[in-house]
Amino acid sequence: MWATNAKILGVVLGTLALYTLIANKIPQVQSEVPQTLTLGANVTSEQLVAAGEKVFNGIGGCPTCHGLGTRAPNLLTDEKGQGTVGARCGKREAGKSCKQYLYESLDNPTAYVVQGYQPIMPVMTRQLSPAQVWSVIAFLESQGGTVDVTASDIPAASTTAPAPATGAAGGSGSGLAGGSTDPKAIIQAAGCLACHKLDGQGQVIAPDLTHVGSRRDAESIRKKVLDPMSSIAKGYEKLAGIMPKTFGTMMNAAQLEALAQFLAAHK
Amino acid sequence: MTDSALLLLQAAADTTRAYGEFPVIGARAAVWIAAEVHLMFAAFVLGVPMFAVVAEAIGLFGKDQRYDRLAREFTRLLLVAYSATAIWGAVLVFFLATLYPRFWAYLTTIFGPSMWVYAGLFFCESFTLYLYYYGWDRWKYGRTKLVHWGLGILLNVWGTVVMFIANSWLTYMMTPPRDITPTTDPATIKLWHAIANATWMPINVHRVIANVVFGGAIVAAYASYRFLVAKTDEERAHYDWMGYVGNFIAISALIVLPFAGYWLGREIYQYDQSMGITMMGGFMSWLWVIQAFLIAVLFLTGNYYLWIGMGRIPGAERFQPYTKYLLLVLVLGAIVWGTPHTMIADSKELAAMGGSHHPLLGALGVMSAKNTAVNLMILTTFLSFLLYRRANTRPVVPWARTGTLIQAAMFVVAAGVVLFYGIRGYFVEAIVRIGFSVYQVLAVLACIVCVTVIDILMGRGAASLGAIRWGKMPPRSQYALFILAVTFTWLMGLMGFARSGIRQYWHVWQVMQDTSKYAATPALGYASKMISLCVLIFLSLVGFVFWLGGLAEKSTFVPAGEGEKGARHVGH
Amino acid sequence: MSAPLPPALRRYAGHPFWQAVAILVLAYVLVVWVVPLLPGSAIVPKSVVLQYMVTVLVGVLIYVSDSEARWTRFKEPINAMLVEPRLRVVRSGVLTAVTAVVGLVAYGQVKTTVAAPPNLRSIHPAPPTEITFRGKSITLTGLENPLRQHADSLPTYLAEGKQVYYRNCLPCHGDHLDGLGHYASGFNPLPANFQDNGTIAQLTESFVFWRVAKGGPGLPREGTPWNSAMPKWEDFLTEREIWSVILFLYDQTGWKPRTWEKAESGGAK
Repeated sequence: MWATNAKILGVVLGTLALYTLIANKIPQVQSEVPQTLTLGANVTSEQLVAAGEKVFNGIGGCPTCHGLGTRAPNLLTDEKGQGTVGARCGKREAGKSCKQYLYESLDNPTAYVVQGYQPIMPVMTRQLSPAQVWSVIAFLESQGGTVDVTASDIPAASTTAPAPATGAAGGSGSGLAGGSTDPKAIIQAAGCLACHKLDGQGQVIAPDLTHVGSRRDAESIRKKVLDPMSSIAKGYEKLAGIMPKTFGTMMNAAQLEALAQFLAAHK
Repeated sequence: MTDSALLLLQAAADTTRAYGEFPVIGARAAVWIAAEVHLMFAAFVLGVPMFAVVAEAIGLFGKDQRYDRLAREFTRLLLVAYSATAIWGAVLVFFLATLYPRFWAYLTTIFGPSMWVYAGLFFCESFTLYLYYYGWDRWKYGRTKLVHWGLGILLNVWGTVVMFIANSWLTYMMTPPRDITPTTDPATIKLWHAIANATWMPINVHRVIANVVFGGAIVAAYASYRFLVAKTDEERAHYDWMGYVGNFIAISALIVLPFAGYWLGREIYQYDQSMGITMMGGFMSWLWVIQAFLIAVLFLTGNYYLWIGMGRIPGAERFQPYTKYLLLVLVLGAIVWGTPHTMIADSKELAAMGGSHHPLLGALGVMSAKNTAVNLMILTTFLSFLLYRRANTRPVVPWARTGTLIQAAMFVVAAGVVLFYGIRGYFVEAIVRIGFSVYQVLAVLACIVCVTVIDILMGRGAASLGAIRWGKMPPRSQYALFILAVTFTWLMGLMGFARSGIRQYWHVWQVMQDTSKYAATPALGYASKMISLCVLIFLSLVGFVFWLGGLAEKSTFVPAGEGEKGARHVGH
Repeated sequence: MSAPLPPALRRYAGHPFWQAVAILVLAYVLVVWVVPLLPGSAIVPKSVVLQYMVTVLVGVLIYVSDSEARWTRFKEPINAMLVEPRLRVVRSGVLTAVTAVVGLVAYGQVKTTVAAPPNLRSIHPAPPTEITFRGKSITLTGLENPLRQHADSLPTYLAEGKQVYYRNCLPCHGDHLDGLGHYASGFNPLPANFQDNGTIAQLTESFVFWRVAKGGPGLPREGTPWNSAMPKWEDFLTEREIWSVILFLYDQTGWKPRTWEKAESGGAK
């Protein structure tokens, strides 16, 4: 009787153990809750660093390139004897503090490309919210340097940084790049250089804009931006229609004017 | 009116805490255990009456007292199990109300009236059960027996309605009607609108069938326990037979279960594509490999039990040499079905394979191959049953040979259709391929129905090849029944996790977000530990219930002298 | 079975114990050595070998124990090995071997290796219902390739898509769209092979759009680790360019995208 009971118990527990073991043997994947980063006004630097580490490894996808040593410079480990990123960031560009340099490399990655690497980094300020960007900077500073990012940087960032990830674009009137009338910021935010070349930067899919002022006047450029099909540059007939027709609704009038004047001056 | 209700609700949300905390294991685990164990008991008390009534009917119309006693023994198990269900239900409500008060308030606002109906029906069900059980001897003869049987049917009606009501709450959490948004005031949601959501009916059907399977498996485990501890041969013979009946019911219902599951899956995909992909291909994709493993265990163990059972049937020697070919099909089917699409491999193997898809075996990991494998496994299991049923008799009707040939042809045609569409599925686009599984299923179902009809006609007046030696079973066959019961229960827990887990971090999908610290959906490893724990709690309690049942009165095994009649009940 | 065996061998061939051993050895040889030799095949990962062997073992155990006579015969050699005095050498050998195997397995389990642990990378992770493409939200559910609405200008779009492909995708995904571009061998995971029936042939165009637009960095948790080298093409290509290159991929490979009309179901993975 008791021998039978023990055997039954053995069969039951053995079966349960087997199933549990198999389910635990396979790699474990947990379905996480998507994080929304909210940082209060009196956030401490520790909190910023902790949040930044999550962004760095998570949504930012930074280790995809940084850390391999082949696609981009190592950040968390030594890079060619110069130490970790926090130790070297202040010495990269003369006159730029560590914080300024890191912000620039996230906001305009091609401005300073470390020797030996290709300019492949995407503009992170377009993918991440200002809070995420600044927490990443805090995290990077913590890697061998001193953290001087404070909560006061973050609201400032949302006014000066180009359009945040969710984008204020659309016909809302605020326009691209937070409504900035700086033509370079507009070009950056609209992604013109994904097709056009300007002053040696950008792609060659569409006509080079470096000397566009000698071919078109401001009026023609304005028209072309609003209605890309209105006139097609010679030699690009096959690509007619590629340029999005939506720029007119993405920019406000002041921005369009600033852009047209800026390009027309490129003779 | 609406505004004031909204304000009231908001005030309630502000003043009451949204979440409570449970010591040591945490709020989620507490609710998980309470819900799962409650559900297992509920499935048991819904599944067992179904075939208590069927068994009573066989006893009543087939004039066989043995089935009547079987039905009564099942019902006795119900009494205690019923109160256990109620206790765990109360624990679940208490946990929900204290650990998830905001969510509970939301649900009660919408489903309040149906909860009252639920409680009322529960009372009706309890009293019907008492009448049914305690009136057994009173209404034994003539027309009163019919009335008694009617009570059994009524018991099932109550039970099914109660389950349908409860299902509406949880399907609402999964698939709330599309016009309900996070800002919808719950007080304005029409009750019927919330009940009749996209997955309500599929879940209802799926659960009714699954309850039959589950009830059968637990009863078979009960019988196998009594078999193993039996002191006399008569007792052994009775419980051997009872275990056989339980297993037969479980496996027959299991064969149709995948089709109900298929319907449910379809509805989920139609409701929300990304929910469907999360379920089948997202973080849960590995769950289905585990499920395939468990179902392979069920098929193999179920067939194994039948094959060992042939040892006690005079005449089965004719078929025994062929079981190894059936086994071969089942093992190959299990291999194909278990082949993962995305394989676990280390970096060297990944490089050799060129990714986590195997260039050759990867072809076995897709839907076409799996559907083909599982349909062939179902056909094989059915063939096992057929041989088992036929083993004891020799048909006497003049067209027996023709009939057998027609049956064989039907098997060949069904297998051919399954294979044809399985292979053709590789050469057509996805949308067409999905349609193919319907043809495969129809071929298998048609084969099962037609062959069974022919078999029943052919078995009329068949000559017996000798009495079945009930009770002459080696103990390992009984342990196989235990493995079946544990696997069914575990599988139920796993599927419950899949159904509940695809909501991910939502209480109510895209309407009410889970903002507790347990919002993340755990990985399979954690879930498997929880499932094992729930199964263990449930089985221990059921063991206790059975022990109590044994204390109350003596078991109703077949007295000596009636055993000879056993030969007639080969195929039920 | 057909060729007559010498009597000594026949005795073994008819004995369930040796049949069981032979089946297991045969299955192992088949999975580990024969399958990789088949045309277009590769080595079978250890996890899958284990899974297959366990299934076969269960099958074999069922075979030897489903009839009482066979079960008794099956146990004979094991009993004999354990008790018979004349088999002392065999007994010692087997017991030593079992001990050694258990020890080696335990050693293999705890030994640290330099190889990265195997990971579970879902090839086709669940897509979000909506993505933000350059600040504009795009609902993926039910989305069709908008370029397909202009049937008459399809040739133009295809030409465009071809341009986009050869300017951007060629180095990794290759001239034949088979994932064997010049740089392909440097990546892990390898670039997707569009000719294979397991990639774009299984997916809706909106899924492909999501993968192209968001690239490796946009993979959700189950698609990790994030070592996919696929760039976030939304930074370099316009919406229309991506749609046209998708058009090109399907046109060139001959696959039809998965469609939305009827919801699919069942275990596609």
